[in-house]
Amino acid sequence: MFRNSLILPLLVAVATFVASAHAEVVVVVSSKSSVKSLTSEQTTKIFLGKVVTFPNGQTAFPIDQPEGSAIRDEFYSKVVHKNSSQLTAYWAKVIFTGDGRPPKLLADNVAVRKAIAGNPNAIGYIDKSAVNRSVRVVLKP
Amino acid sequence: MSKKYFLAIPFLIAAGVSLAETSPRDNPTTGTGKGGAVQSAAPGTTSLPDLPMFKFGGFGSLGVSHSSLDQGDYVLSNSMPKGVGRSSEWTESNNTRLAAHVTGNFAPKVSGLLQVDAEYQENGTYNPQVEFVNVKYAFIPNFYMRVGRLAIPTFIDSENHDIGYSFAWVNPPVDLYQLSIHSTDGVDATYRSEIGEAVNSIKAMYGNRSTAKDMWGLFDKLEYGQATFHASYQQRRSSTQNLLTGVTDAWIQNSDLSVGASYDPGDWFAMSEWIQRRSTFKINAMYISTGYRINKFTPYLTYGQIGPGSFLTGYPPPTAAAIERANRAQSTVSLGVRWDFRRNYDFKIQYDQVTLSDNSNGYLINVPPGVILYGSKFHVISAVVDFVF
Repeated sequence: MFRNSLILPLLVAVATFVASAHAEVVVVVSSKSSVKSLTSEQTTKIFLGKVVTFPNGQTAFPIDQPEGSAIRDEFYSKVVHKNSSQLTAYWAKVIFTGDGRPPKLLADNVAVRKAIAGNPNAIGYIDKSAVNRSVRVVLKP
Repeated sequence: MSKKYFLAIPFLIAAGVSLAETSPRDNPTTGTGKGGAVQSAAPGTTSLPDLPMFKFGGFGSLGVSHSSLDQGDYVLSNSMPKGVGRSSEWTESNNTRLAAHVTGNFAPKVSGLLQVDAEYQENGTYNPQVEFVNVKYAFIPNFYMRVGRLAIPTFIDSENHDIGYSFAWVNPPVDLYQLSIHSTDGVDATYRSEIGEAVNSIKAMYGNRSTAKDMWGLFDKLEYGQATFHASYQQRRSSTQNLLTGVTDAWIQNSDLSVGASYDPGDWFAMSEWIQRRSTFKINAMYISTGYRINKFTPYLTYGQIGPGSFLTGYPPPTAAAIERANRAQSTVSLGVRWDFRRNYDFKIQYDQVTLSDNSNGYLINVPPGVILYGSKFHVISAVVDFVF
C-alpha cells in the first residue's frame, strides 16, 4: 500500500516529464490517402518545395506549424536537418528569387490533423499523441 | 531579334514533349503547389487556407569594412566607383544595402515579383533601382517561363548574392563572384524533374542589357540528398570599352563556363566553385569554403583565387592596357564567423588576407598611376548585420 502510493505519483511525474520534454513528432497523411510510407528524404523534398508530388505522383500539399513552436523545430531538426535560422535562410533564397513560397501554416496539432483528415493530398507533422484514426502515420523519424 | 533567341526553342519543345509523356496529369482538383498558386479544393475535401495574393518582404545588410592598404580601393563588385582603403579607411559601401520585395499571385498559373534595391552603385549613390521585375507563367508546377528582368544563375549563390542572411559569409567569395553579371532583361524557361532520388532543374535564358548584348545561357542544378551540383554555360557580346583588349570599336563575343558543388548535411558545409571566362583572353577563378555550425555560431574558412589571363589567338596584338588588365590576379584567405543572435537577424565578422600576384595590382581600383603593389599582402576586416523581413 505504502509502496503503491509512492510509485503511482512517480510514474505520473515521469510520464509527464517524458511527454513534455520529448514531444514525439510523426509525419501524417489522410487515412484516405494512398500513400503508405515516406522516407525522410522524400518528406524533406516535399516540405522544402523541391517536389510537388508524392513518390506515387499524387499532388502533395505540405502544411506547416507556426514558427517558434516546439513541434516545428523538432520536425525540421530531425527530418530536414535544418534549424530555424537555416530554414529562414533557405526560404529567403527561395522567396526572393521567385522560386516558390513556404508551405501553408495552421495553428496547432489539432488544426493540422483536421485539415489532413479531410484532404487526401495534404501532409503534415503532428505530435504522436494527437494521432487518431482519421490520419495515417507515414514516417516516424 | 537574334538568331540565338531561337536556340532555346528546341529545348522548350523537348521539355514539353517529355512532360507530356512522363508527368502525371496535373490534377485539376488540386492545382499546383510550387510557386504558391492558389488552389481550390475538390468537393468532399477540406479546403486549405489560401495564400494571400500579395506577399511583401525584404532584406538588408548594414556593415563596415577596413583595409590595411591605403594605396588602392578594395571592392566587392567592379561596378563600385570607390571602395575601402585609399578612398576611406573605413566604409559601409561594400557591405550595406536594403531591398524591398513583393510577390504577386495573380492567377493559379501566373505570378510575378518586383524587387527594389538601394545599394552603392556606379554613380556613387544609394538611389533605389529595380533589381528584378518579372512575370512567371507555370504551364505545370515543374515547367515555367519568366519574362522581365531576371537574375542570371552563373553560380550557386548568384541569384541570392545580395541576401546576406542566406549564406554564412559576409560576402560570397569575391575572387569568383565579382565576375558574375547580375541580371539581364529577357526571357527564361525552367524545367524541373525527378531523376531517381535526385531533383534536377535546367534553365535556358536569353536577354540583353546595355553592356552585355545577346546573352544566352544554359544553367543546371542537380540536388541529391544534401549535395548540390551546379553547371552553367553562357555567352554574350561585350563592348571593347569594358574589355580594354586592344580591339577597338567592336563588340567581342565572350563566354563563361562554370561548375560548382556544395554539401550541407546540417551541422557543417563544404562548397567549391570554378569558372573559366573567355574573351580575347581567358581567365580561371575558383574558391573552396567550409564551415561548421555550433549552436548559433558558424565559423568558416574560405580560399579563393583569380588567375592571370592568357591571350587567345585570332585577335590583333593586345595593347599595353589590355596586357595590364589581363595580368590581374590575386588570392584571398577568409576566416569568419556568423552568429544568429536573434530570429531573422545575424551578425558576421570576417578577416580577409588578400595577396596580389607578382606582376599585377590585382583587382584593386583607384590605384594612382605609377604605383606598383605587385606581390603585396594586405588584410580587410568586415562586420555586418543581416536581416530579413
